[in-house]
Amino acid sequence: MMGMKRIYKNQLLFIVALFAVALYLFPLYWMYTTSLKTDTAIFAIPPQLLPSSPQWQTYIDVWNGSNIVRYMSNSVFIATGVTLVTVIFGSGASYVLARYRNVWIDISLFTVLMLQVLPPSLMVTPIFVAFASIGLLEYPRIATILAFSAKTMPFFVILCRAAFMTIPRELEEAALVDGNSRAGAFVMIVLPLARNGILVAALLIFMQGFGEYVYSASLISDNRLQPASIGMTNYLQPNIVTWNSIMAFAAIYITPILAAFVLLQRHIVNGLTSGALK
Amino acid sequence: MKACAKWIRDGIGFDALLIAMALTYLLAFAGLPLLYNIIISFQVVDMFSLNQLFHEFAGWDNYIEVFHDPAAAEVLWNTTLFTIVSVFFQFTLGFALALFFNQKFPGATWFRGLFLAGWVMPGLVVGVLWNWLLSGDFGVINWTLETLGIIGEPIFWRSDVDYSLISVILANIWYGVPFNMILLSVGLAGIPEDLYEAAALDGATALQKFTTITLPMMRSTIGAVIALGIIFTLQQFDLFAAITSGGPAGSSLVAQYWSWELSFRQFEFGRGAVIAVLMIVVVLGVTVFYVRSTRQETRL
Amino acid sequence: MKKLLMACAVWSLAASTAWAEDVTLTMWTVANNAPEAVFAQEFSEMDNGIKIDVREIKFDDIIAETLRAFATKKNPDLISVDNPNHAAFAAAGAFLDLTSFVEASDQINMDNYFDGPRSSLTWDGKPYGIPRASNTIALYYNKDMFSAAGLDPDAPPSTWDELYDAAKKLTDPANDVYGIAFSAKASEEGTFQFLPWAQMAGGSFENINVPGAADALDLWKKLFDEGLTSPDTLTRGQWDSTGTFNGGNAAMAISGPWELKRMSGDAKFDWGVALLPGPSVDAPRASALGDFNIAVFSNTENAEAAFKFLEYQDSQVERLWPEFSRMPSHKGVALAPTGDAKIDAASAVFVEQLQFARNRGPHPKWPNISKAIQNAMQSALTGKQSSTDALAEAAAAIAKVK
Repeated sequence: MMGMKRIYKNQLLFIVALFAVALYLFPLYWMYTTSLKTDTAIFAIPPQLLPSSPQWQTYIDVWNGSNIVRYMSNSVFIATGVTLVTVIFGSGASYVLARYRNVWIDISLFTVLMLQVLPPSLMVTPIFVAFASIGLLEYPRIATILAFSAKTMPFFVILCRAAFMTIPRELEEAALVDGNSRAGAFVMIVLPLARNGILVAALLIFMQGFGEYVYSASLISDNRLQPASIGMTNYLQPNIVTWNSIMAFAAIYITPILAAFVLLQRHIVNGLTSGALK
Repeated sequence: MKACAKWIRDGIGFDALLIAMALTYLLAFAGLPLLYNIIISFQVVDMFSLNQLFHEFAGWDNYIEVFHDPAAAEVLWNTTLFTIVSVFFQFTLGFALALFFNQKFPGATWFRGLFLAGWVMPGLVVGVLWNWLLSGDFGVINWTLETLGIIGEPIFWRSDVDYSLISVILANIWYGVPFNMILLSVGLAGIPEDLYEAAALDGATALQKFTTITLPMMRSTIGAVIALGIIFTLQQFDLFAAITSGGPAGSSLVAQYWSWELSFRQFEFGRGAVIAVLMIVVVLGVTVFYVRSTRQETRL
Repeated sequence: MKKLLMACAVWSLAASTAWAEDVTLTMWTVANNAPEAVFAQEFSEMDNGIKIDVREIKFDDIIAETLRAFATKKNPDLISVDNPNHAAFAAAGAFLDLTSFVEASDQINMDNYFDGPRSSLTWDGKPYGIPRASNTIALYYNKDMFSAAGLDPDAPPSTWDELYDAAKKLTDPANDVYGIAFSAKASEEGTFQFLPWAQMAGGSFENINVPGAADALDLWKKLFDEGLTSPDTLTRGQWDSTGTFNGGNAAMAISGPWELKRMSGDAKFDWGVALLPGPSVDAPRASALGDFNIAVFSNTENAEAAFKFLEYQDSQVERLWPEFSRMPSHKGVALAPTGDAKIDAASAVFVEQLQFARNRGPHPKWPNISKAIQNAMQSALTGKQSSTDALAEAAAAIAKVK
């Protein structure tokens, strides 16, 4: 009897989940649908839920006409750089912030969070001026990576700090007793244990870096070095807006990360929830 | 010298070094720009002198002008409303979903993972997408609501002063729910199962378990999620730029967008900086709240 | 010996081209399919030792980017700038005074340009650039819908009253048709669309609070209140608005010649273009002067090379209309027939309308003036303020702009 009830309950939950996910993902579905419609079908009332004659040509045009491959590879470059800088500078700090509980830690945590108060759109002018004066603008993608990493680091620190909190202190202390240095114990014992949490947080940072717009728009003046977020806005200018090409560009832009995400999502969700992070 | 190396290798210096790396980085790349904003807010800055740090001193003039601006009261109200409503729904929906997926049914992890799809999208794409969904004449949301008989006439989400802020809030909730859900799922996963088993033996109802076990155990997670939610919401810029541009007639103008508009549309850099400084003050309060909430944490 | 030979070769090469070494210029523009970007590409491929790198920047960002860049001397050599923004740069000395170059030039003569575009780039009596092209707005209308509604398709509305009556007759909610589409967006596009209405009624940007301007706003408000235009007119740009006209969801549209190409492909009906209706038949005509100017930055190290490009740009004027659907700013350049009867009829109207096109400014603080006008427009149209109060507030704000 219990078994039957359990199965019914599971089926009900499954259906509710399916419905919720469908509702939630509808905007994405609409992006794909719109990208395949003709200029006229886009404005049809009532809207077509499925394009009557899918316009694959739009994708071909966008693919050929927008340098999207170059844009995407720049996005990957920037996202990778942001992830590396964030992980390198942020991991140690999250470990320390998880290890102690005193007023200095409070102040540090406070500072880390406090420093990301303003949106990039308000930070970009001083950053541009400062970078220009020290010559960093000669390396615009690096400049973007450095600027944006300051934006992602607080979030990374907070996620990773939670991961380090779960590592029993005794393990580290045992390593110290065995003659390891603090640095040795950190590298050999603590980091491997926190690996899952760090990897998952890093992946999320990568995705943020992949979508970065404001700093790239301002700091990277060479078209050849700009990421896909900038490429997309070229489709958004007044007088040249065409919804199907924008949606096609957006689809090409985010489908790879969505696909990677769907493939990896089990590891991500498990990494985040299985106690590696809390 | 040697003592110093030893201090770093074996002592508290190791911790100091690690934290100093991050803090130095952040102070350089985020702290200095903040400082620049504060300095600029007290100066008269014209379009062509952005490179100088020091301009003619303006005293509190920029502040006074901002406070006397006819838009000021509305911006304050909009910003408050946008933040509170967004964070409230992001949090409650995120919590509900976290609890829902915490029940172990087949496919739960998969479904939860799919929800994160919203989160990995660039803000710009989300904004463009919602702009399109919310279109008055051709929007699929209006069409759906009309077909279901919920509304009789199309709502002009982006163009109606009564709905413009709501449309950005809707998009922002959609964007923020996954973040809340996943962080809260993490918190839920950390509650030892035996607490619930013990409560079940005592005959506790689901609601009792929730209020006596789940909520107290989640206090620090909830504090962190809400504080981060507020900070992220105050930083939300892309959605405004893509959906309403703060309009019509300022009905969806919020502080972060106004500051940008003053600086880069009207080139009133001093006044733009004033708003940035006021936002810093607000986030200061939120951060204190977050740091205090970490006090409740327990370490293994 | 070998060295000497090489030196000779280099010397003779340098002598054969005008430049001792190759020069690379940079130019910022909002679209890399715009005429100046295409011309720059051609110019780079010529054997003249000058190469131009074009950077495309979103319309919304180009001024802010340029200011940051100029402040740190990272600005380009050339820029294509929306004409109301020209004065700020010219007045601040950011653009190069071209007086001596123009005097020495066989190609560029400022008197060849219409007064409007020329004055948009003139500051203190000196030229600070050349116009790329000129455009303006007029009234598009769907002739089939006019016939169906019992209106004469060959007598489009010529006054505001007629426009209102036509919009009323043409509006057909059952078939999702609005009477008219335009843009009252809170951006430069909104100012661009509204200012001519105030001007036709005796107002101007310096004197916006006139009864006629309030009448114009009241009429716009009536279009909104009675559902004769889409509420999204408040937030939609001209291109999107006209898209609804092309799709048969609006019977009239106010926009510029840049629509023609798309319309001739998309619009499955007979359409025409008429001059912008005025408050009365004998009211002075007015319309907005749009399009971009091309300027050289004052801190460029290659002013001569940059000016060479301006000369090339100027020499290609005949191609603007057939290839780019842009109207030349040069006097006496006829628009060649395109073979599309509707476009050719429309272009005649736009040429006439352009005669009455007025500048926004020139004023170095144009964005602040424009913002005040946008605020008035939006707060009157949303019912926040009466038209008179909104315009009074705008006038006060404009008076404060120094």
